[in-house]
Amino acid sequence: MSFEDWYRQDRLPHIFCAGCGNGTIINCTLAAIEQMAWKKEETVFVSGIGCSSRAPGYIAADSLHTTHGRAIAFATGVKLANPDLNVVVFTGDGDLAAIGGNHFIHGCRRNIDLTVVCMNNQIYGMTGGQGSPTTPRGCISSTTPYGCAETPFDLCELAIASGANYVSRWTSYHVKELEKSVLAGLQTPGFSFIEALVQCPTAFGRRNKFKQVSDQVDYLRTHTMLKAKRDRLLDQGQHIPPDMYIVGELARRNRPALGVK
Amino acid sequence: MTQIEFWQGNTACAEGALAAGCRFFGGYPITPSTEIAEHMALKLPKKNGVFIQMEDEIAGIASVIGASWTGARAMTATSGPGFSLMMENIGYAAMTETPCVIVNVQRGGPSTGQPTMGAQGDMMQCRFGSHGDYSVIALCPASVQEMYELTVKAFNLSDEYRVPVFLMADEIVGHMREKIVVPDSVPYVSRKELVRGMPPFRVDIDLIPGFPQFGKGYGVHVTGLTHDERGYPCATNPKLHEALVKRLVNKIESARHTIANYEILNPDANQVFIAYGAPVRTVQQVMHDHPDKNIGFLRLRTVWPFAEFALKEFKNAKRFLVPELNLGQIAREIERYVDIPVISLPKLGGDLHTPAELLAALEVPQ
Amino acid sequence: MKLAIDETRCKGCNLCTKVCPYKIFKEGKKANRRGIIIPELDRPERCSNCRLMHLYGRTLCGVCQLICPDQAIHWVEEQPYEPQKVAIEY
Repeated sequence: MSFEDWYRQDRLPHIFCAGCGNGTIINCTLAAIEQMAWKKEETVFVSGIGCSSRAPGYIAADSLHTTHGRAIAFATGVKLANPDLNVVVFTGDGDLAAIGGNHFIHGCRRNIDLTVVCMNNQIYGMTGGQGSPTTPRGCISSTTPYGCAETPFDLCELAIASGANYVSRWTSYHVKELEKSVLAGLQTPGFSFIEALVQCPTAFGRRNKFKQVSDQVDYLRTHTMLKAKRDRLLDQGQHIPPDMYIVGELARRNRPALGVK
Repeated sequence: MTQIEFWQGNTACAEGALAAGCRFFGGYPITPSTEIAEHMALKLPKKNGVFIQMEDEIAGIASVIGASWTGARAMTATSGPGFSLMMENIGYAAMTETPCVIVNVQRGGPSTGQPTMGAQGDMMQCRFGSHGDYSVIALCPASVQEMYELTVKAFNLSDEYRVPVFLMADEIVGHMREKIVVPDSVPYVSRKELVRGMPPFRVDIDLIPGFPQFGKGYGVHVTGLTHDERGYPCATNPKLHEALVKRLVNKIESARHTIANYEILNPDANQVFIAYGAPVRTVQQVMHDHPDKNIGFLRLRTVWPFAEFALKEFKNAKRFLVPELNLGQIAREIERYVDIPVISLPKLGGDLHTPAELLAALEVPQ
Repeated sequence: MKLAIDETRCKGCNLCTKVCPYKIFKEGKKANRRGIIIPELDRPERCSNCRLMHLYGRTLCGVCQLICPDQAIHWVEEQPYEPQKVAIEY
């Protein structure tokens, strides 16, 4: 059995734009779940609203496509009421960090046994490309037409500070690493947060000088730095370019968790 | 062996929920409903249930809906401001046909208003608060005994009709202490299960789909988007949307004769009081003090869906008098159905109507 | 097992052309009926990971399938005794 068997074949092809990285992230997550050998009937996918949150609709398991930002709150109810279920949350940057920020930090604080996969495309894709809490400074979106003047959230730092047991960041280019990372998240009891930077050619790339899908993927590839390398460079007192995304496993610990079966 | 207790309304509500089999409570503290959460926090863990205090009321109702999909009977309790926060997810519960019970111990509004004073200002909000068209069930207890009984009923109705059910109590009933007879068992209506192999949102003549519990291998997709009978999003099909919304409304409205729970006293009277919730008690006092006056009384336990057919029982009625702790929310609903005068007797501020005030209203020439 | 691209699903993003270690996927030239330029397979028999999948009983590389956002890349069974040109690259 491969991860392809987890898809609702009658619903494909999905609604994501050509070149959108969300499909890649779903592949990696399902491949990790496949390695966990979870059964479909004991797995529940929960999501909020947005491009990323359409993911559970394509997966042939019980899935809850909820209201904007509230996915983690719904998932908390599912997990606590039946700890035997494995609960995976798909969410996006706007869904998780803007409207759902409160539920996110409290999910981390409770350290409830969920695995949250955030597809961070740094923009509101479904509504047509408005600035989100993770839009980098200076980037153009339809609500930041003169360049984003706000400092973006570092979602992983937020999760670590709030107390999540497992935190990692990868991009849609690093598929194998992402798969392993999601697997580690699924295996870790407590709150696991995996941020996956994804390209959004339609709403983000088009406005920010990424003419082709591959241009933005190349950017993600060249602007990521392993945590180990960052630490080494810091030890040597060297400069880290400010536009680098630190990737890799950023936290793994064993704080008391809630809802573990 | 029934048991006689002296309980607060909120305690009775929590005990009723426990007796009805509620095993999940997700909520947020808010006066005057907090005692329900406190009592559930005390008792649920001992009954193998889950109590969780969420980060806000939005998360509270969200966790309740999530828990409900795993098959648990789930509830939350709140008051005005929290109720306003819950509205979006209440619409979600209506759209996805999730059984859940929401207790609203009403307080004076708008906004923070009067946290420790009773009111009935949320009666229209519970019916129309979330966006779009849908229909819900709302029950109004007038005593501690009814806090218990109607909570049980709320769970049964919610599971039977797959709809959010509101227990619209008020601070007066919620904080009142009274004698209550606790039955040793309560009625239990279980959710209709989905037949294996059937699309999860296909309905029979009763318009209520079978419940595909999470974790049982149904592989159901639940979405707040307009969905077809397979549960798949299909948001741009006008006919499908119309059919879905009409069904959500009709499954409740067409069953209102079954759902309705009311009491009629003196159906031949000329002057008829209509009341629900705490004002019922004042009307009862007036009727008790003046048995000679031949006052009619329609006492509503279910306010939504509105039992307009009950109004027709009063054949000789010359006018309806509606004492409410709001500016006439249900009086206006009654006006839609009758052609005799409907006198609204509003009262704001947290005090109940006094019997003298109701008597004075009776004396006003017609 | 040999690689195949599902033309009904591919949206022509060319991400597969970026990741294959053998450079088997290359950008297509002609638009199909839906106006999508599907990548072409350049001598897919060169992929030893695909060929050895049966022997090892698991997916060996599979990066093209993982990265394909449209779930369009999969493997099909080869016909028994299907003649294969073995290409050796130096």
